[in-house]
Amino acid sequence: MSFRDWYRVDRLPTIYCAGCGNGTVINCALHAVDALAWKKEETVFVSGIGCSSRAPGYISTDSLHTTHGRALAFATGVKMARPDLHVVVFTGDGDLAAIGGNHFIHACRRNVDMTVICMNNWIYGMTGGQGSPTTPVGASTTTTPYGSAEGVFDLSELAVAAGANHVARWTSYHVKELARAIQTGLETPGFSLIEALVQCPTGYGRRNQLREVSDMIEFLKTHAMLLQRYRKLVAEGKPVPAGIFTVGEFVRRNRPAMGVSP
Amino acid sequence: MTRTEFLQGNVACAEGALAAGCRFFGGYPITPSTEVAEHMALKLPKLKGVFIQMEDEIASLAAVIGASWTGARAMTATSGPGFSLMMENIGYAAMTETPCVVVNIQRGGPSTGQPTLAAQGDMLQCRFGSHGDYSVIALSPASVQEMFSLTVKAFNLADRFRVPVFLMADEIIGHMRERFTIPDAVEVVPRRPLEKGALPFAAGPDGVPGFPVFGAGHGVHVTGLTHDERGYPRATSPDIHQELVMRLVHKVESARREIADYMVVNPGAERVFVSYGAPTRTVQQVLHDRKDRTLGHLQLRVVWPFPEFALHEFPDAKVFLFPEMNLGQMAREADRHTDVPVVPIPRLGGELHTPALLEKTLEAHP
Amino acid sequence: MKLVIDEARCKGCNLCLLVCPYRIFQEGTKANERGIVVPALDRPERCPNCRLQKLYGRTLCGVCQMICPDQAIRWDDEAPREPQKVVIEF
Repeated sequence: MSFRDWYRVDRLPTIYCAGCGNGTVINCALHAVDALAWKKEETVFVSGIGCSSRAPGYISTDSLHTTHGRALAFATGVKMARPDLHVVVFTGDGDLAAIGGNHFIHACRRNVDMTVICMNNWIYGMTGGQGSPTTPVGASTTTTPYGSAEGVFDLSELAVAAGANHVARWTSYHVKELARAIQTGLETPGFSLIEALVQCPTGYGRRNQLREVSDMIEFLKTHAMLLQRYRKLVAEGKPVPAGIFTVGEFVRRNRPAMGVSP
Repeated sequence: MTRTEFLQGNVACAEGALAAGCRFFGGYPITPSTEVAEHMALKLPKLKGVFIQMEDEIASLAAVIGASWTGARAMTATSGPGFSLMMENIGYAAMTETPCVVVNIQRGGPSTGQPTLAAQGDMLQCRFGSHGDYSVIALSPASVQEMFSLTVKAFNLADRFRVPVFLMADEIIGHMRERFTIPDAVEVVPRRPLEKGALPFAAGPDGVPGFPVFGAGHGVHVTGLTHDERGYPRATSPDIHQELVMRLVHKVESARREIADYMVVNPGAERVFVSYGAPTRTVQQVLHDRKDRTLGHLQLRVVWPFPEFALHEFPDAKVFLFPEMNLGQMAREADRHTDVPVVPIPRLGGELHTPALLEKTLEAHP
Repeated sequence: MKLVIDEARCKGCNLCLLVCPYRIFQEGTKANERGIVVPALDRPERCPNCRLQKLYGRTLCGVCQMICPDQAIRWDDEAPREPQKVVIEF
């Protein structure tokens, strides 16, 4: 069995734009699920609303495509009622951190045993390219035509502070590391967040001089810095290059978790 | 073992849920429904059930829907402000045909209103509160015994029709204490499971699909988007959308007579009181005091879908008098269905109609 | 095994070009029936998975397949005595 066997092939090709990073992240997630030899009948995918959240519609397990921002609350209900089922959540930056912000921090606090894969493309893609809580300062979107002037969430740091057991961030360029991080998340009891920075050439890239898929991937490749290296630079007081973001495993710990299968 | 208890309405409601097999409660505290949650928090763990206090009412109903898809009978309880928050997910439950029970112990509104006083101001909201067209079932208890029995009925109806079912009580019935009986066993009619090989959202013979429970290998995709019989999103198809919405509405509306539950007193009467919930008690008092057979009483236990045929049980009626703790929400619905004049008797402010108030109305309509 | 790009799925995003360490994928030249310019393959027999998957019993490299957002890349068994040449299939 390979990860491709988890797809609903009658639903392919996906609705995603050419070069969308979401397809890549789904591949990595299914790769991880398959590597652990999970069974389809025991796995449930839950999602909110958005491009990211269309993912379960392409996977041939039981899945719950819910209302905007509330995926974690639905997933909590599924997991607490049947702790023996594996629950994986697909969500996006707006779905998780804007409308879903409250459910996000509480799910981390409760440390419910589920794995959340956030496809963070710095934009609201499905609705046409509006700003999100992770849109970089100065970026142009349809609702920030003069450049975004709001502060930005660091979703991984939020999850760490709120109490998640495992938090990691990678990009859709680093496919092997992403698949490995998702696998670690699936194995770790408690709440696990894997933030995947993905390219949205149509929504984000087009308005921010990164229209070509290759441009956005180059951006992700060159602006990613390993967390250890970043922490070392900061500890030594050396300057951190502008515009970079950190990738790697933020935390892996053993706080008491809810809904762990007995 | 059948036992007699002297308990609060809210607690009776929780006991009814447990007797009906409810093993998941996701809720959020809100006066005057909090006792339902507290009693479930106490009893569920002892029955290997799950109680979880969620971060808000939206998450509460979301967790209930999620749990329902794993096969559990799941319930939440709230009041006005929380009920308004739940509207989006109520629409989701209706669209995805998720059985669940939502208890609303109504209080004075709008907005924060009168948290500790009764009202019946959410009756239209429970039917039409979410966006789009859909159909739901709503029950209204008028005593602590009915808080128990109608909660049991709510679960059976939810499973039978795969809709969200509302228990529209009010603070008076919720907080009053009365003697009531808990039978040793109640009738439990579980969901019809999906047959192997059948499409998960194809209508059964009665318009209701079999239930594809999670974890049984059905591989069902559940979505709030317009979907076809396989459950796959087909949001851009006018025909599929029309077919789906018509089926969701029709499966409940066409079964109005089967779902209906009402009580008729003095069917030959010319002046008939129609009531549901707390004002029923006042009407019963008036009929008891007067012993007048020309006064009739129609008590509705199922309020939605509205049983217009119940009005026809009074062929000689010249006027329907409708006391409600709102500005005539159900009276306007009754009015649509009959040429006999319907006189709403509204009462706001949180206090129940008094017999004197009803007497005054009777004098005005000889 | 031979490398196959499924033309029914490929959307021409060219992500595979960016990641292949052997630069097997090249810019395509002609649009197909769907209007997509599918990448061309330059000596795909250099792909370690083509050569060694059968020997090691697992996927080697495989980054192109992982990164392809449309699941359009796969490796198929070759027919016996087929010349070592990869064909792009419909």
